Amino acid sequence: MAFKKRLTEIKAFIPTASMADIAFLLIIFFMVTTTFDVDRTRVNLPKSQMRIEVPKGSAYVVIYKEPGTENYGYKFSDGKQMSTPVASLTDLEAQVSAVAAVDPTRPFVIKAEADTPYRIIDTVMDIFRRAGVEEIVMLTFQRTKDDTE
Amino acid sequence: MGKLTDKLKPQEAEISSASMADIAFLLIIFFMVTTVFSATKGLDFKLPKDEDKTAQAETQEAIFFKVLEDGSFLMDGRPATVDEILPYIGPKLERWPDKPIIIYTRPDAPYKAMVRIYDELIKATEPPDKGGLGLAKTPNISIPTQSEVNDYIALFGYNPFEQQ
Repeated sequence: MAFKKRLTEIKAFIPTASMADIAFLLIIFFMVTTTFDVDRTRVNLPKSQMRIEVPKGSAYVVIYKEPGTENYGYKFSDGKQMSTPVASLTDLEAQVSAVAAVDPTRPFVIKAEADTPYRIIDTVMDIFRRAGVEEIVMLTFQRTKDDTE
Repeated sequence: MGKLTDKLKPQEAEISSASMADIAFLLIIFFMVTTVFSATKGLDFKLPKDEDKTAQAETQEAIFFKVLEDGSFLMDGRPATVDEILPYIGPKLERWPDKPIIIYTRPDAPYKAMVRIYDELIKATEPPDKGGLGLAKTPNISIPTQSEVNDYIALFGYNPFEQQ
């Protein structure tokens, strides 16, 4: 043809139609995958073969070894919020009794070091007994056939 | 120039694949949601509810485990290993499934030793090919606490678990 070709602007655009889709997908993904750990203390648990799933909403009594020392620290959670440090076993008794008075059927989890002297566990069991706790779960790691101890 | 070829162009069929990514992500999330992974597990036991029920069983009629400070234990007075537990209690529990089993742990013994014995006793309900005894009921296990022992000493003047 004889006439000049018109220079037209090339309009560029990113289609944003799927942005809402992606946004909702990400929202649902994170809603689904977020879990709340009631206690994150690293504890060397004893091992057992027979294990059950800890019921959701269980209260936690954590007995951990303060790193670098031979002292044991305690933490408690009522199952609905993060565990908080407990100064002594007598304070623990007050908190356990408060929770068990409201809901004696709530399971209580003992998350304790494998090498804890049994007297500490014994005191905690006694606190549970006096508070009227009905179900106790002793948190453990899975024992495999290779474990000798 | 263009008019003749337009009529002869074959009709192109196409499936719109614009929503394929959408469906793929929806399916991923659906299966992520419906698959359950267990995060925490442990050993479970229930405390007796009745206050009147005496948890103190006679040590003669009960199977008695005493866990010592070094993590070893005595089974009815004899030193024993964990593998000997199920063969020993098997016949006794078959005769009397509710036979009380007492686990008494010395205050300075390690917690893991008590857990080991409790774990082994709970295995009694597993089928024999999985290392258990195939019993119908879980054994009647009682774990006396030091304050219960002290109450007994206050009443009777001696510790029943330190007699053997």
